[in-house]
Amino acid sequence: MKALIRLVWEALFLGEAPYAEMRASPKPALRGLGLVALVAAVVALVGLVGTTLEWATSPSLPDIQQVVREGIEQMPWYKEMEGNPQFREQFKQQFDLAWRILPQLFGAPNPASAAMRIVILPLGLALIWLMYGVVAYLCARLLGGQGNLGQTLGCTALAVAPQLLNLATFLPYLVVGGVVGTWTLLCRYVALKTSHRLSWGRALAATLLPYVAFAVVVALFACLGGVVLSLIVGGGTSR
Amino acid sequence: MKELLQLAWDALLFKHTAYTQHVARADALKRGLILLVLVTLLGGVISLIINVVDDLQPMNLEAQRRKTEQAFQGFFRSWEPYLDLPPDFNPDAILALLRPGMETGFRIAQLPTRLPRPVGTLLESLGGFLSLPFGRLAGWLGYAIWVLLIAKLLGGRATVAQMLGATLLYVVPHFLDFLGFVPCLGPVLWVVATVWGIAIYVKAVAVANDFGIERAIAATAIPALAGMVLALLGLLVTLIPILMSSR
Repeated sequence: MKALIRLVWEALFLGEAPYAEMRASPKPALRGLGLVALVAAVVALVGLVGTTLEWATSPSLPDIQQVVREGIEQMPWYKEMEGNPQFREQFKQQFDLAWRILPQLFGAPNPASAAMRIVILPLGLALIWLMYGVVAYLCARLLGGQGNLGQTLGCTALAVAPQLLNLATFLPYLVVGGVVGTWTLLCRYVALKTSHRLSWGRALAATLLPYVAFAVVVALFACLGGVVLSLIVGGGTSR
Repeated sequence: MKELLQLAWDALLFKHTAYTQHVARADALKRGLILLVLVTLLGGVISLIINVVDDLQPMNLEAQRRKTEQAFQGFFRSWEPYLDLPPDFNPDAILALLRPGMETGFRIAQLPTRLPRPVGTLLESLGGFLSLPFGRLAGWLGYAIWVLLIAKLLGGRATVAQMLGATLLYVVPHFLDFLGFVPCLGPVLWVVATVWGIAIYVKAVAVANDFGIERAIAATAIPALAGMVLALLGLLVTLIPILMSSR
């Protein structure tokens, strides 16, 4: 456990040594899986503390909802319309619906969701790691890489290191922002360069190609979804 | 710590050996990140104190209301010359429309919380303060990867860790941001720190990649120029259809 923590901490600083150590270790893929699960679980646990503190220092959502509703009811446009009972009913329905969706979208603190992340985050990060690792392995091999799948998975697991920055969310109201994504990209570059002993250009291509592949797949599914939807809608209207 | 301060001082004075020794270290990125965090937090500490003292005062709703309305009127006055408004336009009418929304905001700010409100206020200020290094980190990293790419294409030999560790020295002159709250002097010092920081950045790129200053300038400037060209193209693509349709 201690060795894994040291490895992920060193991997954060993008030196090649921790990645080379992972490549040389026995069963790197299994170690990688343990690493991803461990980091994700700790980050989610720490996030739960931060979210709970934020929740405890914020007014309750039903109270806010009540104040917002009363505020809207004071607005001139609402006063003009409130004589219409149909409008009042529709407004109430839409307001309540919006209030069920919007607070979650805008990150209202919710300890229950944060607690669920203790299970969801390790699963999600492990899935992303596995998908990226396999596609990156294929790309790297096509580009002349020398690593095997286990070594690739082991090294790319170290790219979970930037998630450590999220440990700062122990403090509520702290925003880590987009730095984790960019840093992960750099860690993946170093991981593929080291595990497959690639030149910088080939390592860069092997790092970016899985992103391109995922974007293409998403775009294809979106197009397919659009076609299916238009067929359903078209079929429905032509009857 | 003493060693880190010495590095910061030598970086400010463009001492070549300080740069080469820093780049050669295995922990260059770690040291650079510590500098970024320290300098950024130093720059924000006065604002933090002012915010905490201000926020912990008991809330005077009437004063708060007046302050917000004055801020709106000030904002409107500063933009009025640039807006094509009818002569009978009355800003108070807009204010009257905004007032219920403002009142809602004030009422929410007074709602009870599970922990005592000053705890939340303090944590909010502290959270904002400690977010500052992450914001700077995101900006620096987002630019540095493009500089790294251009430097590589120009024959640079730096590893990712060396390049990032070296370019982080750009942050050192920003200790001047500490005086950012002083009227007039603050913005001047910000300009000085920015120009000084860019010069350090160029020097760091040259040292890390082991090439001349001309190529370092190119590697540093090309991503910015490319960004500007793309932004201009984007603007043109947006504006041309509007201009064509207005004819």
